[in-house]
Amino acid sequence: MTTTAQKIGRNIINAFKYLEGYYELLCYSIRNISLLRRAPIRSVFYKQIYFTGIEALSKVAAIGILIGIVIITQIVNLVGSNAVLTGKILIWTVVRELGPLFAAIIIIARSGTAISSELGSMKVNRETDSLRIMGINPFDYLIVPRVAGITVSVFILAFYFQVMAIAGGLAFTSIFMELPFLQHLKGIFSALRIFEVVVSLLKSLVFGLLISIVSCYQGFSVKSSITEIPQAATRAVMQSLFLVFIFDGIITLISFA
Amino acid sequence: MIRLENITTEDFNALSFRIRGGSVYKVVTNSDYENRKLLNVILGLQRPEHGRVFLFDEEVYVLSEKELNRLFSRVGTVLKDGGLISNLKVWENIVLPAWYHTGKKPEDMEEKAIQKFKEAGIEISYLKELMGRLPGPLPFHEKKIIGLVRAMLMEPELMIYDSICEGLSPEMSDRLTKMTMDFHSEKSGRTSVYVTFDEQSVKNVKADTTLNL
Repeated sequence: MTTTAQKIGRNIINAFKYLEGYYELLCYSIRNISLLRRAPIRSVFYKQIYFTGIEALSKVAAIGILIGIVIITQIVNLVGSNAVLTGKILIWTVVRELGPLFAAIIIIARSGTAISSELGSMKVNRETDSLRIMGINPFDYLIVPRVAGITVSVFILAFYFQVMAIAGGLAFTSIFMELPFLQHLKGIFSALRIFEVVVSLLKSLVFGLLISIVSCYQGFSVKSSITEIPQAATRAVMQSLFLVFIFDGIITLISFA
Repeated sequence: MIRLENITTEDFNALSFRIRGGSVYKVVTNSDYENRKLLNVILGLQRPEHGRVFLFDEEVYVLSEKELNRLFSRVGTVLKDGGLISNLKVWENIVLPAWYHTGKKPEDMEEKAIQKFKEAGIEISYLKELMGRLPGPLPFHEKKIIGLVRAMLMEPELMIYDSICEGLSPEMSDRLTKMTMDFHSEKSGRTSVYVTFDEQSVKNVKADTTLNL
């Protein structure tokens, strides 16, 4: 009984330590965002957008189209060819929820692990020390551009996912279910409100910050052993997912409840 | 230039020495491990339990992160394994510190870098291929040369060579020794410090002073 209580207590303390670390890293990145004006740091930022954003475009498009087809098929089965209602449900599911959430999950799986492992191995190989002795602060050079790059990527990919899901879903129904594409598209635009788009973009911005901060923090928490790297990667994935779902719930509650 | 006052760590007991500006020094340690520990203390990576470390008359372990970065932009360190960044290509590694601190464009450093590689005996025909590679699979001596060229492009006032000639062929060792000695004479007031545990490997270095720890 005592052991279980101790374990729970230790987990709670650890969780608060992590949250404090994440908060400090977030503040540091925001405070030093102007470092992106320096060409070498900007080059890391561009590379991060390339690896996290551009290289993920095809996967996000494929998953977006598939999700769009699944959702719209279910909606049409439920409400028939009612274009306005179809549009509303599509916006409720894709724009409000699935767009930012799926983009975040794809980035966590694809880049969260990669970043935490990469930074972890740089720590083990003392490359961060090499940067320090060249007079380059590893936080400025490695963390700030990565946080900015991942956040921008999630922001753009979430929007891209939504467009692909809606366009893919509508194209599928118009080809295979003979429902008019333009009529359904009009239904979506008539149901779409700017507030929903803003909330969706806000979510993707928050998710991007969460994923980047957690992945970088966990990567940097590796000390000297190579066995710490997979552990850090696992923590980065699990904690990113957990925080993304928590913040998704909070933003949804505040915005739509 | 470098001053250690009563440095006490797990590995050193009240270690003190002073390296004066404009000279060539050999610092001979007892082991490779001690080499690394000494460099960690001098380069601000491991705070000693007691004692003070000065670089350019500034106390290293009381400086802020920003001041430390400014200080180390004046120091060129060539680590034993080159100290290269694994996710940057060789060319990106070479230009990184000079690009970061001086804002010099990478293309403006090309000519000087080629000259240094020539001096190190790297074939020009191979250079282009080398520049586009990641450093991980490169042979030991090439990593060392890349680290050396990277440090030289910064034109630092203080050069620290960590076991620069250890593990190299006699021919390569002579070439690097000549390169570093020539570099020392290029700028008046420049200080060169060869830290090694194998004094034989730097026997051709004409040092003003040898410190045996």
